[in-house]
Amino acid sequence: MPPIIDPKLCIACDRCVNICTEDVFYGSTKNEIPEVTYPRECVHFNGCVDACPVPGAIWLRVPMSSMVVYRESPEYAKPQGDPHTRSLPD
Amino acid sequence: MEEQLVECDVLCIGGGIAGMMAAIRAAEKGASVVVAEKGNARYSGCGRSGNDHFETYIPEIHGSDKEDFIDELLYTAKGEILIGRDILRAQFAKAQDVVELWDEWGIPMQPSGSWEFAGHAFPGRTLTHIKYEGRLQKTVLVRQARKAGAKIMNRIMAMELLRSGDRVIGALGVHTREDKIVVFKAKAVILGTGKCSRLYQGLTPGTMFNDGHGGVQTGDGRAMAYRAGAELMNVEMPQRHIGPKYFAKFGQATWVGVLRDAEGNAVGPFVSEPDRRYGDIIMEVNKLSPEQYGALGKGPVYMDCTGMSDEDAAYMKHWHIHEGNIGLVDHMEAEGVDPQKHPIEFSTYPLRGGGLIVANEKAETSLRGLYAAGDEAMGDISAAATFGWISGDSAADFVGTVEEGNVEQCRATIDSLKATIDQLRGREYGPDWEEANLALQQVMTDYAGTVRNEAVLLQGLSHLKRLKEKANTEMMARNQHELGRCLEVNNLLDVGELVFQTALDRKETRGLHNRPDYPFTNPLLNRAHVVHRDGDEAVMGWRKY
Repeated sequence: MPPIIDPKLCIACDRCVNICTEDVFYGSTKNEIPEVTYPRECVHFNGCVDACPVPGAIWLRVPMSSMVVYRESPEYAKPQGDPHTRSLPD
Repeated sequence: MEEQLVECDVLCIGGGIAGMMAAIRAAEKGASVVVAEKGNARYSGCGRSGNDHFETYIPEIHGSDKEDFIDELLYTAKGEILIGRDILRAQFAKAQDVVELWDEWGIPMQPSGSWEFAGHAFPGRTLTHIKYEGRLQKTVLVRQARKAGAKIMNRIMAMELLRSGDRVIGALGVHTREDKIVVFKAKAVILGTGKCSRLYQGLTPGTMFNDGHGGVQTGDGRAMAYRAGAELMNVEMPQRHIGPKYFAKFGQATWVGVLRDAEGNAVGPFVSEPDRRYGDIIMEVNKLSPEQYGALGKGPVYMDCTGMSDEDAAYMKHWHIHEGNIGLVDHMEAEGVDPQKHPIEFSTYPLRGGGLIVANEKAETSLRGLYAAGDEAMGDISAAATFGWISGDSAADFVGTVEEGNVEQCRATIDSLKATIDQLRGREYGPDWEEANLALQQVMTDYAGTVRNEAVLLQGLSHLKRLKEKANTEMMARNQHELGRCLEVNNLLDVGELVFQTALDRKETRGLHNRPDYPFTNPLLNRAHVVHRDGDEAVMGWRKY
């Protein structure tokens, strides 16, 4: 779940680099815009986003494989008729 | 590589909830304290991004009989953690003091002005958990530890304990950013390295960090304690959790909804409408229900919060944020998922395991000078905070009774770790940590998974030993970061091997240890299954909790 950094907003303060326990910014150069060197190791706990002093300079992109699954309609489709035949064509 | 010597009275390995509480208490009692944390203590451990519930016993509310309170917890939150009742008694003799300390330090434990109990409970029965605003708890605890005089060393992964006779006299750490090892000389060592992630395949096989506990709690404490000769227990007993499908986040008591099947029927008998006080306890009674419904052709299973009031929706969001689920809240908002409108699919999460380090009500392990607390030994945040405190107390008392050890006696252990590091860093090709970790997860899931028998376990064990040999001789690290990951894999391989050995020895079916070749639960084995190392042998036995 990789962090995305907006280079136009980032002030290269390194707070995200320092806070990350998984160290996904490993190897970034001090006081330069951080590199996301290990994006697959992000656990989406928002430490970097919380630490960032500039709103919108860093955010987390949720990978497709972690998208929640939900049901569009709150209405449950109650089954009609005999459950053994209801899916058969007329 | 540089070798740094660090001396202290008490070394806390792991800067999570337990480690910080241990550090604060030991430092307050006058010990010189160092915390070795492999990430950043400000944002490490299971409690890093928050928590919203804390189990505590208050006699004025629960009555004078603590045993009833303990019974209730054994039906719910404590049910899956196999520990002795004496441990629970010790926890609840102290938990409320810890709650009041946290409140004093700046973690809002009664944000509404009084104790609000909710969640992890059956309707109409004793409520055991207070709601609290834990989002910034780690910031507060780190600040408090520094104020008490503890020194926090971030980016140091402790890898081996140093032992002299029957006593632990220090530990070895590896810097995960610089080419350096740290030799810690300590009169007492407290292990608080948390859970054991990345042992089994996760929610998204191949994406190992989609894990509600984070990705770097890799059983380091268990592995190093075992290698040093300390006793572990119930290593083979797996646990599972339940939560939103594909997005691994916890907080089953934070959801204000009803677990329902595809036709709208409640899965459990406990609630029929969203209830902010109770949530749906069926998720703790049977975490397997989504998986079982799927197998029976009755799936999917949803967390159905539809129909709840706007006030309840705001209440739930507030507590999700404090529970540490802000990533999930943001994701749902970004994708237009509204719990008031959309039932959210829940799934049974994959296996996790690795057992516990045996520790008593003073947090003492089987080795002198070694203590354990938190998920390493007792599980859940209240236990982590309380036994963290107790371990710091015990360790600070212990250091006044012993002389400092001579770590030079452990030169062979130091040189052996250095040689391992040199080999991992020196290889130009070979499997990296990720490849080795995936191979391990595969064998754990397939051979020590949801159904086990002797032939499967023996086959898995022999394959795991081959993997271990391959990792020992061929695994490579391109830099210090990957070196840390490789060492984590080495720990996981050790824990995995122990899971196989102890699963073979537990000749019964119990909980999620499902052995069709021994299909019954043997009441004579209502005991702790303990294991320690003697030479290269794993010595197993059974002991009263």
